[in-house]
Amino acid sequence: MNRLEVLKLFMVEEKRTKSSLRQLSAVVWSQLKMMLAYKSWLIMDLLSTFASVVMYYFVGMQVDPTRLSQSGWGTSYLAFSLVGVATSNYLWACLTRLSHSIQHEIRGGTLETIAVTPINMFIFFIGLTARGYLVSLIYLVGVFTVGVYGLGAKLSFTPQSLFLFITLFVLMLVSNQALGLVAAGIIMVYKRGDPLVFILAAVNEFLAGVLYPLELLKRFPAVQLLSMLFPYTYALDGMRRVLILGASILDLKVLTDIVVLGVFSIMLVPLGLKTLAWGYNRIRREGTTSSY
Amino acid sequence: MNTAVETENLTKYFKGDGGKERIVAVDHVSLSIREGEFFGLLGPNGAGKTTLIKILCTLVIPDEGTARVAGFDVVKDAEKVRECIGWLHGETGGRALYWRLSARDNLKFYAYLQNIPKDVARRRIDALLEFFELDKDADRLVKDFSTGMKMRVMLARTLLSNAPILLMDEPTVGLDATGAIETRRLLQALCRELHKTIVFTTHNIFEAERLCDRIAVMNKGRVIAVDTPLRLSEITRKYMGVEVRFRGSAEEAVRILEGLRVVKRIISVESEEDHTVIRAEVRDEEQALSEIPKVFSLNGLRTIGVQVALPNLEEVFLSLTDEEK
Repeated sequence: MNRLEVLKLFMVEEKRTKSSLRQLSAVVWSQLKMMLAYKSWLIMDLLSTFASVVMYYFVGMQVDPTRLSQSGWGTSYLAFSLVGVATSNYLWACLTRLSHSIQHEIRGGTLETIAVTPINMFIFFIGLTARGYLVSLIYLVGVFTVGVYGLGAKLSFTPQSLFLFITLFVLMLVSNQALGLVAAGIIMVYKRGDPLVFILAAVNEFLAGVLYPLELLKRFPAVQLLSMLFPYTYALDGMRRVLILGASILDLKVLTDIVVLGVFSIMLVPLGLKTLAWGYNRIRREGTTSSY
Repeated sequence: MNTAVETENLTKYFKGDGGKERIVAVDHVSLSIREGEFFGLLGPNGAGKTTLIKILCTLVIPDEGTARVAGFDVVKDAEKVRECIGWLHGETGGRALYWRLSARDNLKFYAYLQNIPKDVARRRIDALLEFFELDKDADRLVKDFSTGMKMRVMLARTLLSNAPILLMDEPTVGLDATGAIETRRLLQALCRELHKTIVFTTHNIFEAERLCDRIAVMNKGRVIAVDTPLRLSEITRKYMGVEVRFRGSAEEAVRILEGLRVVKRIISVESEEDHTVIRAEVRDEEQALSEIPKVFSLNGLRTIGVQVALPNLEEVFLSLTDEEK
């Protein structure tokens, strides 16, 4: 094709309609395509999903059911750990994915190329988190499927429990993603801090009791108090009550978990959005939207 | 003619090492670029060209002054500005692409972000891939491309949106000679035939001289001169001189010229493909222009052309930046 033929294509002004949904789906599509380009990583990740569930199945055989029962979580350690293991990937995705992705875009110089297009940058940032959400969804479904149907873990999957689980799960995503926005805003400016967020996520995962009942922390009141500062602690407690014990909305503890998560969300979402906007404007002021 | 880009006292400071020192990257720059103009920003490294371009494309927020692109303020109406511009940062050497996507997918992705209708995007992507000779590699991942190929993908991405204003920072860096020539021709055609405004920075003085309607010479954040390449030459020339192109003996020509009263001194003698070019400083340009061809003819030298000698853009640039020092 010669120069004149190319020029002809640019002679007609097409009508454009701004669609944030189309832009968002383009970001998600590109993220997924890039993820699929790492085929061996994907396969390894899926294999590790199955391996981890099987591992907790065997760990469960070593756990004394009466001790677990005394903590009020039934007698199946597999069921107990399953809820924690299945949802903890989302905790990591919410807290670390966005800051990590933005850092990657800044280092690669692609953040700038996006920032000069008419996309609202919040739409782009939402799209960036999609990859982590999708991987975590595959993980969550995989863990529950292998645990429940493969290894016989007993979880309550009634319409009511599913509704409550989804409510708690969404609140968990909102509150933790808000923390992720705060982390992303700060890391965007200081270009460091990724390890700190990873430590925060690991501590959060540990203190929320992914693999052990929080009642064990009674012997360490300071640590127990610290665990109450993280939304994931309440989310995990509520989700376990619903799926393991079959608790309903009338259960005061479930209701408390929902209310606390709601308060966390209301407080953290504006803070997260403001910090992210602050971070983005700050790097535009400092001229550090790229760092190659 | 309408104004495409306008800045007034535009200033940007950055923090230096340690954050204590304040460096002026763009220093009270006032410019007015017309619609359809091919406008060059020329200057040494650190002159502020890239920062200026980044302010115009809303990537950097200025500290003082104003800038308007397509009539929109770059701070208050940033989103509107972004609808009217195409931006290329050649210095990235092809890094600013998604390496785990194919060339076609990279373009498709940006087309969607630009709200280009699907069928229009497809036609343009195919055409641009073919024009930049990437059609055979269009579905390969960009990570396997050479720097030149990545640069061509970036150029295609910039042109894809059909934006009326193109802000191009070193658009021919990393391209081979043929690629650079073709790109220059395309940019020229976009400007002349589709009336696009092109603001571009380059270190290649020859490129700037050939392409630009006007050039702003920048140094230490300030615009030290803005004009057409010809006017810049006139402004900065330091002597009256003529340039004679002829066929015949160069030694004989030098001897003749040195014997003329109107000629003060010979500045340079350069051999070109089939002729010689002599530059000389003269006492009176008009007299020299009429006298030299006659004397040459009488001495058997064939004059091809004689004209007033103006400094080339390289000399202009050096002259202006030296004055600044």
